[in-house]
Amino acid sequence: MARAVTTKTKAINTAIAWTIAILIFFPILWTVLTSFKSEGTAIADPPVFLFFDWTLENYATVQERSSYFRHFMNSVVISVGSTIIGLAIGIPAAWAMAFVPGKQTKNVLMWMLSTKMLPPVGVLVPLYLIFRDWGLLDTRIGLIIVLTLINLPIIVWMLYTYFREIPNDILEAARMDGATLRSEVIYVLLPMAVPGIASTLLLNIILAWNEAFWTLNLTAANAAPLTAFIASYSSPEGLFYAKLSAASTMAIAPILIMGWFSQKQLVRGLTFGAVK
Amino acid sequence: MATQHSRAAARFMIAPSVVLLLAWMLIPLGMTLYFSFLRYNLLMPGNNPFVGFENYAYFVTDPAFQAAIVNTLLLVGGILLITVVGGIALAVLLDQPMWGTGIVRIMVISPFFVMPTVSALVWKNMFMNPVNGLFAYIAEVLGMQPFDFLTQAPLASIIGIVSWQWLPFATLILLTAMQSLDSEQLEASEMDGASAWSRFYYIKLPHLARAITVVVLIQTIFLLSIFAEILVTTNGGPGTASTNLTYLVYAESLLRFDVGTGSAGGVIAIILANIVAIFLMRMIGKNLDA
Amino acid sequence: MTIKRTLMGSAAGFGIAAGLATAGLAQDTTTLTIATVNNGDMIRMQGLTSDFTEQHPNIELEWVTLEENVLRQRVTQDIATQGGQFDVMTIGVYEVPIWAEQGWLTPLDDLPEDYNTDDLLPSIREALSVDGQLYAAPFYGESAMVMYRTDLAEEAGVTIPDQPTWSDIKTAAEAMTNEDEGIYGICLRGKPGWGENMALISAMANSYGARWFDMDWQAQFDSEAWNEVLTDYLDLMNNYGPPGAAANGFNENLSLFQQGKCGMWIDATVAASFVTDPEDSQVADSVGFAQFPNKEGVDNHGNWLWIWTLAVPAGSQQSEAAQEFVAWATSQEYTNLVAENEGWRAAPPGTRTSLYENPEYQEAAPFAQMTLNSINAVDTTAPAEGEIPYTGAQYVAIPEFQGIGTAVGQTFSAALAGQMDAEQALQAAQQTTQREIDRAGYGSN
Repeated sequence: MARAVTTKTKAINTAIAWTIAILIFFPILWTVLTSFKSEGTAIADPPVFLFFDWTLENYATVQERSSYFRHFMNSVVISVGSTIIGLAIGIPAAWAMAFVPGKQTKNVLMWMLSTKMLPPVGVLVPLYLIFRDWGLLDTRIGLIIVLTLINLPIIVWMLYTYFREIPNDILEAARMDGATLRSEVIYVLLPMAVPGIASTLLLNIILAWNEAFWTLNLTAANAAPLTAFIASYSSPEGLFYAKLSAASTMAIAPILIMGWFSQKQLVRGLTFGAVK
Repeated sequence: MATQHSRAAARFMIAPSVVLLLAWMLIPLGMTLYFSFLRYNLLMPGNNPFVGFENYAYFVTDPAFQAAIVNTLLLVGGILLITVVGGIALAVLLDQPMWGTGIVRIMVISPFFVMPTVSALVWKNMFMNPVNGLFAYIAEVLGMQPFDFLTQAPLASIIGIVSWQWLPFATLILLTAMQSLDSEQLEASEMDGASAWSRFYYIKLPHLARAITVVVLIQTIFLLSIFAEILVTTNGGPGTASTNLTYLVYAESLLRFDVGTGSAGGVIAIILANIVAIFLMRMIGKNLDA
Repeated sequence: MTIKRTLMGSAAGFGIAAGLATAGLAQDTTTLTIATVNNGDMIRMQGLTSDFTEQHPNIELEWVTLEENVLRQRVTQDIATQGGQFDVMTIGVYEVPIWAEQGWLTPLDDLPEDYNTDDLLPSIREALSVDGQLYAAPFYGESAMVMYRTDLAEEAGVTIPDQPTWSDIKTAAEAMTNEDEGIYGICLRGKPGWGENMALISAMANSYGARWFDMDWQAQFDSEAWNEVLTDYLDLMNNYGPPGAAANGFNENLSLFQQGKCGMWIDATVAASFVTDPEDSQVADSVGFAQFPNKEGVDNHGNWLWIWTLAVPAGSQQSEAAQEFVAWATSQEYTNLVAENEGWRAAPPGTRTSLYENPEYQEAAPFAQMTLNSINAVDTTAPAEGEIPYTGAQYVAIPEFQGIGTAVGQTFSAALAGQMDAEQALQAAQQTTQREIDRAGYGSN
């Protein structure tokens, strides 16, 4: 905004925005704080905010009970793996749709999106049987396949809308200059497409990381990611707020931190063609 | 400009995605369709006789079915309303000059990164619990009876929880769209003496139309199959007060292990979802082509 | 395991991220995948497994710990489809005979000689056997009883007899309730589920002389007895229960009781060791126990029997190792191990006669006798009064009961939440139950 703004307006804006932002963020903050309390302090009445005896005991308990690191690695492998494979399949498709649109392009795209509306519970038993027969139950590969397929429509769509914004003139100009298809792709298109791809990548890692139905139902011990880890804390066991908070913090911290650091990249391509 | 050659290449590039998704759709869906015509209960193995449309009839006449449809629509509608309106408001706010935009933005988008299971657990236990929750404490301080959210207003509570998760997504898309608005146009209107409200209503809002449709489309896709939040917080209850179609299918096929009826429910859910989809696509198609 | 590996290998051959595959290196060690519930006793068992792995260095244990509902869904789905993901499953007494008849469970005939099956409580052993063959080993067993705060009862000037009636309970609940201090006279399960609120309500129905079905498999919710059951249940909970009771299951109520928010709690006997544990419970030193109530003139104390058992799925590749583990976890040595580490009070209750004859246990566990009496009083062949076509306890032992019980549980939970009154709830329950039981074809037999 180029307009001059009075300090007073700016102060008011700041105050309102910070208040709302803190309210929105509060549940996460509260969870993290509670994870450092003792079980007794966690339900103290009145609640204590910052001034309590900070303890790491809950993290120790949780770690002792579940092998966090393995769940964490599974989450990483599954979400990153499915996203990368999804991109490898989705980029060419989105590319072709954006630059060589045919009569059916839009319909194909819409059909792809509609496959996402398949309610997972409706097809769990069939898929479980298929997985059993193919030996994919409780394997990372099995989950990578499922998550790739689930998120592929979003990948294609997001990339398509992004690629479409790349002006055709530039391509024409490059071609006039005698660029080959190869160099056209590498030197002209790719640099322009990178933000869109990066943002698609990030969004899909988040979606895959948080997917809780398939990851819970198709795994047992070996391939179970953090969603299964948290499932073992989901019903109370006596006093459990602090333990629950510690487990929750451990489950969301990696993706939260990744999100914070990459939010600029995430936002840049997250338009779904909404910006003209 | 598209030559014969490039068309062929394009088809070749699209093919893997289409084939995979087709397989993904047809194989499990085909099996679901097949199961939906069988009497097939996991707990009673044996021959699974063909029973025609019995499962469908049974699913549709379930007293919970109507409630589930209504709840599904209320859930999707309610969350869309809150996130779109809230998202616009937040986008307008974040578009204003202020100190610490970066941190504010980070705080606002954070809920989007939180696993649905975790957010449901945290809200249920640490906030909405009528005995130990923070809301109960606040009510107590204000001298009120603690409100039992998940029992007294289960659907509204779930709408609240899910809205919290999706508000950042809507805000981000709307904010990006807002920032792409030509600032000269705004300045010109300001010079003409247009009020802040009329600037918002006549210039910003129309500019956001596309972004809003996108938010509606993407969120609807995810919201139609809300499941984890319901499972964790209310188990679809009390009664059927927070049972949506997805949860009802779950109850049939995985609580009663009646795969036949569950499959029939799945097929019905898919059909209904596609009806919604066609509606949406029409709307979006119009808006995106423009 | 080998088949699985080969298939995994070929899947990896797909070229998809072969390096990511978890294909473990071939070793002589066997890995047992154990599915279990996140209940206190099981968590304790996880903590003690080093004792087992030290004795069996070639066996590794992998735990899948899940919440009860999720666990039940996961294991049932897996066993019914022969998914083969688990080598040991934690299942309830309800599942054991049904699954054994389907041929889904490995008969436990490889148990070591010192396992001493004769030491198992007769009613427990009976409930886990089909045709005299044991199909699952009891990890802990429970009936239900009244747990109450002796200090609050004294303060309120009420005494709770060892064999209370429901009207005694009501009187006591009324006297103990003090909402200003956040103390609720009675905590009962309200969370929908056949193993949650329906366990309590069915046991309550038994003790009121009500039954689920008559001899023609007609649902009995339209009976006078059921009307009394539900009316009294709602009356107790609405007047003297905690807020949000419709969402409270065993664990939630345990939590409330440990925090000192409940005057009385009628629930599984296994809770006794948790509410008397000074480390977790703020009211550990003032808990009294009484038998599950009955209605005046009805000689039935609920017939609540639940056993968490360890079972080995049929066709498990590692049946032998799995049985070794099952034997260890349900043995007398394990009980001694728990006692050594956490004291006798924490020993898994309700499975072995020897435990109840142990003077150390009797001294450490004030609830021992009441627990034993409650379990011994159970008759699973005739849980309800009147003539009935089913066996069971606080459940009906037919495969359809999970579905029916859960649906009825939802309805009663809705009534507790105030969405309908008792009469409407009973009507709805009657309809749902009849609909399901007819569909399953019981009536026509």
